Amino acid sequence: MQIKKQTKGKAYKKAKKLGSKEVIKLLKNKAVVGQGGANFPTGTKWEMVLNEKEPEKYIICNADEGEPGTFKDKFILTNNPDIVIEGLLIGAEVIKAKKAFIYLRGEYEYLLPKIKRSITKVKKQTKSKIPIEIVVGQGAYICGEETAIMESIANRRPQPLQKPPFPTQNGLYGKPTVLNNVGTLANVSLAIHYKDFDPELRLYSLSGNLTTPGIFELKLGIKLGDLIRLGNPEHPIKAVYFGCFGGCMPYNPDMKISPKDICGKDCILGSCTIIAVDEKHSIVDMATNIAKFYEFESCGKCTPCREGTMRILGLLENISMKDASMKDLDTLQELAEVIKETSFCGLGQTATSHLLTALKHFRKEFEERVKEKRNRRRVAR
Amino acid sequence: MTKVKVDNKEFEFDPNKNLLINLKENGFNIPHLCYQEGLHPEARCRLCVVEIDKKLITSCSHYPKEGMEIKTKTKKVKRARKVNAELLMPEHMDKCFRENKHHDLCNIISDLGLKKVRFNPKKKYKVDLGAAVIRDDNLCINCGRCVQVCSDIQATYAIDFAGRAHHEHVTPYYEKDLPEMYCTKCGQCIAACPVGAISEREHLKEVLKVLKDKNKHVIVQTAPSIRASLGEEFGMPPGTLVTGKMVAALRKCGFDKVFDTNLGADMTIMEEASEFLERAKKGGPFPMITTCCPAWIKFMEHFHHELIKGKNMSSCKSPHEMLGNLIKNYYAPNNKIKKKDIIVVSIMPCTAKKFESTRPELASDVNYVLTNREAALLIKHFNIDFVNLPDENFDPALGISTGAGAVFGATGGVMEAALRTAYELGTGKQLTKIEFDQIRGMESIKEGSMIVNGIEIKFAVANGLSNAEKLLKIKDRYHFIEIMACPGGCINGGGQPLPYSKNKVQARMNAIYEEDARLPLRKSHENPVVQKIYKDCLGKPLSKKAHKCLHTHYYKRKL
Repeated sequence: MQIKKQTKGKAYKKAKKLGSKEVIKLLKNKAVVGQGGANFPTGTKWEMVLNEKEPEKYIICNADEGEPGTFKDKFILTNNPDIVIEGLLIGAEVIKAKKAFIYLRGEYEYLLPKIKRSITKVKKQTKSKIPIEIVVGQGAYICGEETAIMESIANRRPQPLQKPPFPTQNGLYGKPTVLNNVGTLANVSLAIHYKDFDPELRLYSLSGNLTTPGIFELKLGIKLGDLIRLGNPEHPIKAVYFGCFGGCMPYNPDMKISPKDICGKDCILGSCTIIAVDEKHSIVDMATNIAKFYEFESCGKCTPCREGTMRILGLLENISMKDASMKDLDTLQELAEVIKETSFCGLGQTATSHLLTALKHFRKEFEERVKEKRNRRRVAR
Repeated sequence: MTKVKVDNKEFEFDPNKNLLINLKENGFNIPHLCYQEGLHPEARCRLCVVEIDKKLITSCSHYPKEGMEIKTKTKKVKRARKVNAELLMPEHMDKCFRENKHHDLCNIISDLGLKKVRFNPKKKYKVDLGAAVIRDDNLCINCGRCVQVCSDIQATYAIDFAGRAHHEHVTPYYEKDLPEMYCTKCGQCIAACPVGAISEREHLKEVLKVLKDKNKHVIVQTAPSIRASLGEEFGMPPGTLVTGKMVAALRKCGFDKVFDTNLGADMTIMEEASEFLERAKKGGPFPMITTCCPAWIKFMEHFHHELIKGKNMSSCKSPHEMLGNLIKNYYAPNNKIKKKDIIVVSIMPCTAKKFESTRPELASDVNYVLTNREAALLIKHFNIDFVNLPDENFDPALGISTGAGAVFGATGGVMEAALRTAYELGTGKQLTKIEFDQIRGMESIKEGSMIVNGIEIKFAVANGLSNAEKLLKIKDRYHFIEIMACPGGCINGGGQPLPYSKNKVQARMNAIYEEDARLPLRKSHENPVVQKIYKDCLGKPLSKKAHKCLHTHYYKRKL
């Protein structure tokens, strides 16, 4: 696996020799892009911050991996934290940051000693003097959002802020800030050190109704069927979810996994998370489960996300537990669309895409569930 | 100016103002709840959405750009507004529909043509009862205006959001109650709330009860700023002076005497100016800080109690407490009324004065404090046709006041009045120009200087507690400081008619200065009643008796 390769401080030394502009050029040439889901070119992001006149700058490593079904950052931090730290130091060196931060997900606190050891080790290897502070999150999903993470580090209530201004101009403590994913920073070290670095390789987090779930390093654009086969499903697969926020689509083994192919079908690939659902399981239950997650994790800032997610969960529970009518499905659809259109941040805007896609592709299951419960009620009376 | 298209018509928008204000100025009706003039747009409520390039954006947080095509009436916009309003309503609806109130949200709901809300109301929260401010979370829609006012404008940070997702609610820290908090009771959150979830503690019932009681001699006193704003509650334009109508209406309500707090203000000035002159003689301690504003006093006791130790605070009571004391200790014996039969009701633009009247060291010379809104309710309760009432005058015994008392209502007024008297008492000369223009107006911090007996006196005025905080950092530069907790002074107090708007405050301020210019007496020490009170009862300013009646002390309070 490419991600397990070591760089031993050599990437940092090379970066220092090259200088900021050359490193940015190299990253652009090697097509290093953000691994968090947006696929934004890392070199461009660093260049934007480097060009800011403000002397005080910061860099943050986003290790707040809260997306259900995603565990690639955990995999990297467990198996090869050194290249992440080295990437962070390279970034700090390139943008001339005053301080670097690692925002670690609260549930990953057990990795803390390992990361601390790695920091000491890499600092010895690179002789870098940039301070690194590890901030352990308190377990809010919203802290994965780029402005909320900065609010959280600055000891404020983690809620997203209005963009623009973007964090590259006005980020942590109001200073220009770079925020990079764990995977991105790992790729930075690898891209600088190895000539045969392949930017197309992704870490797929594969889970769901599979017997051998896990992390698989494969190229973008492979066929979905090939990937699912690696997970050895017990029963035939019915649908795949691209994480919670990515939405779902019927299982099509010949479909290529790439942002282009998937985004055309109103799903988002995001950070290469794939949750497989087999025929034994209902999409309605899946939707209820995900709705529960969003109802709990909404930050509470804007009306549609705060109130809407709760109402969606209520309606879905009504469908499975109590009585519901076909009208409720329309309410569900309308609510989901408005939440998508009017929410404040990315979390809210994607909080209902799972439901919208499920209603689009599997509306029958919802309708059946409504009818089935009605029949049962009639019998009971 | 930027050219934009709205609903296929061309308009010119001001690029420095956000879309919402621009649209409203051009006659578009855009519903909005969480945005308030002068506050940073948080864009929480998502009601002010408009469509640009097939995307919905909030108009409060975006600015016009050249060639923008804005659509305000598409299906998408209408649906989004409707659903979001519907989502907010269950939180608010239950109580509000029962009591048939008309808050901003209720109006928006009816504007959108919603008759029924599809969602059930949420669970109940407890109601936070305070001596002055009451918070009812059941009405709250989490727009965050109160939180922003409390932190950004008042720098008090008494309330903030807690909980996440739909458990998010506004609360003092650790779910404490407001009375336990360092809340200053300034009431600016009441003015900010679009749904009436925060309100003053009403004392109307008690007042109605004593009004019916034949044995009680009920005296009402009205604050300087009330006369400039009470008319708004009866549909008159902001800034209409209604002094005469107000007195007539209150007499009709059954108050035995109607006195003017401006007289209390004149007394305050006599004491404060004398205190300042004495300090000037002794050479300190400077700066001396005014104490007319009870919200500022509470703020100081919590956050700046070093000022008590440093003896920077003047020891004068606030004007209405002074007048309350004079009513009980001067008016009552003179008119042979038993002290316990006298009930003093103050009509104030302020919720902090409600709290002040419960302070033990003031021994409560004022029995009840009504806000401006409550006074209007009282007048409406008696079905009085306020607008067409003939003008009447205050009762003469304690009802003669000066323009110096009137300007108390606006920020900088106390300073102006005090300087008029201090100059003339200190130098014995006539002041040629009695308007101090440098400390008039709505700016956050104003400063000026004046030469008295060859010494330059530097003074500064702050309004809004966050500005007070800024001013206190540089306080050593000045000799005399006035601080008012509410932005704009009492004319924008927490008890003034709702809703808040900057133009309204400006209109009220103009009215106050108009009243000052109109009055024949404009300096406190020229007031014959003040002179008479000193002659008959108190002796001279700062005498032992004056200290007993008109001065107080302060405590250090915990955070």
